[in-house]
Amino acid sequence: MPNLLTLVKAEFFRLNKYNLFTANFVVLIMWVVLAYFLEAEMLLRFIPFIFFMDSIMMTILLVGATLFYEKKEHTINSIMVTPVTEHEFLTAKVLVNVVNSLITVAVISIAVYFIKEVTFNYLLLLPAIVLVTVVHSLIGIRLSYSAKDFTSHLINYMLYVFIFALPPIFALFGIISESVSRFFILLPPEASSVLINTAFTQIEAWRVVFSYIYLIALSAMLYMFSVKPKFNEYLMKETGV
Amino acid sequence: MIKVRNMRYKYRNSSQYAVDGVDFNINEGEIFGFLGPSGAGKSTTQKVLIKLLSGFEGEIEHRGKPLASYDDSFYQDVGVSFEMPISFSKLTAIENLDFFKRLYKKTVDIEPLLKRVGLWDDRDKKAGEFSKGMKIRLNFVRALINDPKFLFLDEPTNGVDPANSRIMKDMIREFRQKGGTVFITSHIMGDIDELCDRVAFISQGKLREEGSPRDLKIKYGKRTVNVEYRENGDVHSQLFSMDEIKTEPFFNLLRNKEIETIHSGETTLEEIFIKVTGVKLRA
Repeated sequence: MPNLLTLVKAEFFRLNKYNLFTANFVVLIMWVVLAYFLEAEMLLRFIPFIFFMDSIMMTILLVGATLFYEKKEHTINSIMVTPVTEHEFLTAKVLVNVVNSLITVAVISIAVYFIKEVTFNYLLLLPAIVLVTVVHSLIGIRLSYSAKDFTSHLINYMLYVFIFALPPIFALFGIISESVSRFFILLPPEASSVLINTAFTQIEAWRVVFSYIYLIALSAMLYMFSVKPKFNEYLMKETGV
Repeated sequence: MIKVRNMRYKYRNSSQYAVDGVDFNINEGEIFGFLGPSGAGKSTTQKVLIKLLSGFEGEIEHRGKPLASYDDSFYQDVGVSFEMPISFSKLTAIENLDFFKRLYKKTVDIEPLLKRVGLWDDRDKKAGEFSKGMKIRLNFVRALINDPKFLFLDEPTNGVDPANSRIMKDMIREFRQKGGTVFITSHIMGDIDELCDRVAFISQGKLREEGSPRDLKIKYGKRTVNVEYRENGDVHSQLFSMDEIKTEPFFNLLRNKEIETIHSGETTLEEIFIKVTGVKLRA
């Protein structure tokens, strides 16, 4: 993948030029300010939620916004007649989000350490964030290529949240029974939450192992059977079909 | 350089072939014009040739190898300019070109190209602020950025003012003189006539005619000479066949009358286009 680094750099450059980083940065500052006002114990319970929000919700939104501009400007045609492969193009999109999530992790981690001397298991957190962001970048790409415009991407995003992220929250409040909620680990946000929480609390080993295997397999399946075919379909549409 | 044999292409949602069994060659170092009305199949053909559309039937060879056997390194030597000008609107002209430049192994200096097409002074302006003509010129420069051996140009001068259109045509000719090969689609027959060594007409997915503009004009033209002359204040005309222009009546007319115009019966590419494709050109 000789062009991958070039594409990633260019993607960051464009995110900056299109002011998409600004929104991301504002949210990041908001988290840091919030951390300042929370007690250390509360903060430890709250930080996984920040990372969950950033690597899932912000990732889907950011990839949607990037692709929205690309779709609007039809730039994919020009890129696809260069030596860039489809794999490089899609991998670059995912990598940019991974780097972005890792920046958030670094900033929050440094901030909470200096503000409240809060630490957690960074070695467990980093692979979890990488995997969760990869899965949700792919989901974001898939949702975006199914959307006609950014509004419909937002609707797809809301549907995803309703269907996949809300049930575990309902279970937390006892709205959904335990007999049903034990299957929620099959929902990508719940499996993601398990992995992120390993850095903060003790979690049954089987749940962690299952979540890793499940999300890795899901990423591979999503890429091969959903994202790539949808990307090719989009490419066909862009070329005038 | 490119051999196309019985190439057919059908879009997934269509029952009809967009391109239905076309055969043609594009020789190295020539400018090949591909002409046809909207929906005739010329853009589809171009997209197949630049590997944007896969799944065609028939055979296409590029430099002696099946087109399908090429990976994305195929584009190292190919430059493409689409009809619709495409660029990152919030990036400046130079930032747009820099991005694309980094994707190739071999590149050229942007400055002389931008100066040539009159965009150097606007290089730091965002592409979104460019006029259509400027965007097209930027696209054209982008197609040349990797020092390609093969250029695919879709309506390259459509929307460009005459002065810049002249410059772009000169650049296309210079590209050919340096050994480059060009596949060009356009509905501006003057450009095609001026630039192309050979042209092919496509209509309803089928190739209707192929040849050099000169040969086609001879084939479809009339072998006649029409002489207009003034006599007693009135304008008269007399038509001669090519065989008659060596005879006495023709010379007598030239010697004794006040000649105003002499026209050969040569036809235009536009007339051939209409005849061959059965469709009138866009205004």
